[in-house]
Amino acid sequence: MSYTIDELMVVTLAREFTNETRAFNGAVSFVPVCAYLLARRTHAPELVWAASSIAIDADPKAIPESTLSDGLWDGAAMLSGSSYDFWSFAQGRRYNTFAFRGAQMDAYGNVNNTVIGPYESPKVRLPGGGGMADLGCMLPLIYLWSTTHDPRTFVEQLDFRSGMGWGDGGDDRARLGLPGGPQLCVTNLCVFDFDPGSKRMRIRSLHPGVTVEQVIEATGFELAAPEGEVPATPEPTAEEVRILREEVDPTGARLREFR
Amino acid sequence: MTGHESKLRTLEEAAELIPDGATIGIGGLSMNGAPMAFVRTLARRRVKDLTVVAVVAGIPIEWLVAAGCVRRVVSGLVSLEGFGLAPRFRAAVQAGQVEIDEYSEHTLICRLQAAAHRLPFVPTKAGLGTDMLKLHPETLRLEHDPATEEPFVACTPLPLDFGIVHATEASTRGNVRVDPKLIWMDGEVARAAATTIVTVERIVPEATFVAAPARTTYPRFTVDVVAEAPWGAYPTSSFPRYGYDGDFFRSYVAAHTSPEQAQQFWADRIDGPERHGAFLDANGGARTLLAIARRTS
Repeated sequence: MSYTIDELMVVTLAREFTNETRAFNGAVSFVPVCAYLLARRTHAPELVWAASSIAIDADPKAIPESTLSDGLWDGAAMLSGSSYDFWSFAQGRRYNTFAFRGAQMDAYGNVNNTVIGPYESPKVRLPGGGGMADLGCMLPLIYLWSTTHDPRTFVEQLDFRSGMGWGDGGDDRARLGLPGGPQLCVTNLCVFDFDPGSKRMRIRSLHPGVTVEQVIEATGFELAAPEGEVPATPEPTAEEVRILREEVDPTGARLREFR
Repeated sequence: MTGHESKLRTLEEAAELIPDGATIGIGGLSMNGAPMAFVRTLARRRVKDLTVVAVVAGIPIEWLVAAGCVRRVVSGLVSLEGFGLAPRFRAAVQAGQVEIDEYSEHTLICRLQAAAHRLPFVPTKAGLGTDMLKLHPETLRLEHDPATEEPFVACTPLPLDFGIVHATEASTRGNVRVDPKLIWMDGEVARAAATTIVTVERIVPEATFVAAPARTTYPRFTVDVVAEAPWGAYPTSSFPRYGYDGDFFRSYVAAHTSPEQAQQFWADRIDGPERHGAFLDANGGARTLLAIARRTS
């Protein structure tokens, strides 16, 4: 089966979702949006997805330039109209799944989308954490992704912790009374999961053709030892790729994240 | 309905109310439903030293920063979404010309709710373990529940001098309808403000509200000023009547690859036109509006 890296990443993420997944999305979230829609069209028809965190059970014909725009809401069964509609379901864990990314990520799945450099005099001012600082704390199932697996993105020390992953590692989240934590990080080179004790990232699978050495070289922090031999990331099926290309994202909006 | 005081003002009269140094909250959610006609009118006044509170916004902050109106931005997210980073905002922060007081969406909503309810704080789990709490030790206090010892964040009130939101229709008495009722954080912005200004697509008779009272969104005693601005959210959307103008955002971002082009774009398409209608004309007029209009059922 011929496929591209964006398709492998979407399919890999989609396969993590189930009929119990109750998700929503934030800004510039093309990869997870595609993954929710793909999962719902394949193995998880009961999956809940609120487009832009607003449009529940939306079924858009195509994905627009903004994953927070009303272009994503077509076919929804409910439009959430107030902040109460959303935040009570998020903090109350009626929703259970959130995916986010950042300009920097650390070994514990904490994320920076605020500044590069010092906060007061930044070298680069980024858009801001938005809902990350909230939802990283509230949701039990956190998924991370990155289309730029390099040492500038995967860093030992964040310049600013905008979004909470496993915090300082170990039982840090539990001590703060926060549920669950990051489950996976899907990158353009591999899939990371988290060591159950230290909560540091480790390689779960390598995308076809990628070596352990390549991943180590592209990662700015030390990885936890993997559990046994590292397998290859399972490839997408022809049917998954067809549905993604033809039904979920016919205009290729997801490629905005791969420029 | 004679004898009642009219709250109807022009955009220009409404913008005149905002003094230098005011703290203003701006409604809308990213590409959706921002009171852009008011923002542009305010930017053209060159009011100074504003503190601008916007939970998730891009283009309103861009224009106010470009006009030199802003001292401090209080926000969770400032971007132009899939179109790119907010270029004026980013440059101004990096040059030290504008302060950014970053909150998260929910801590900001909680602070506005605390102001609206006149409570000492509203609690949330948001922000625990993040650096955002370190930025705001006084306004986002790490506390522990006395009974259970569970940690939480106490978000203190953020009162606004002015809250500005866009809506579908209003009467001159100040009853306001957002139809359908998608208000997101606008409810908090309107309620946390000492003075609430609402721009609307159209003015309708008071009888419209009496005929369908369950569909009134903001009651007249909470609305101070109403200004009519058809297509008043442009270039953001006003669901379901019109979508955002993707062409505008694409060309806005493209123009910011050079300072000369950016200045030209600002002068020709945003700051130059005096009245709201002239502004719409400068951005393609009827052709643009027909392109973004949605078929409604």
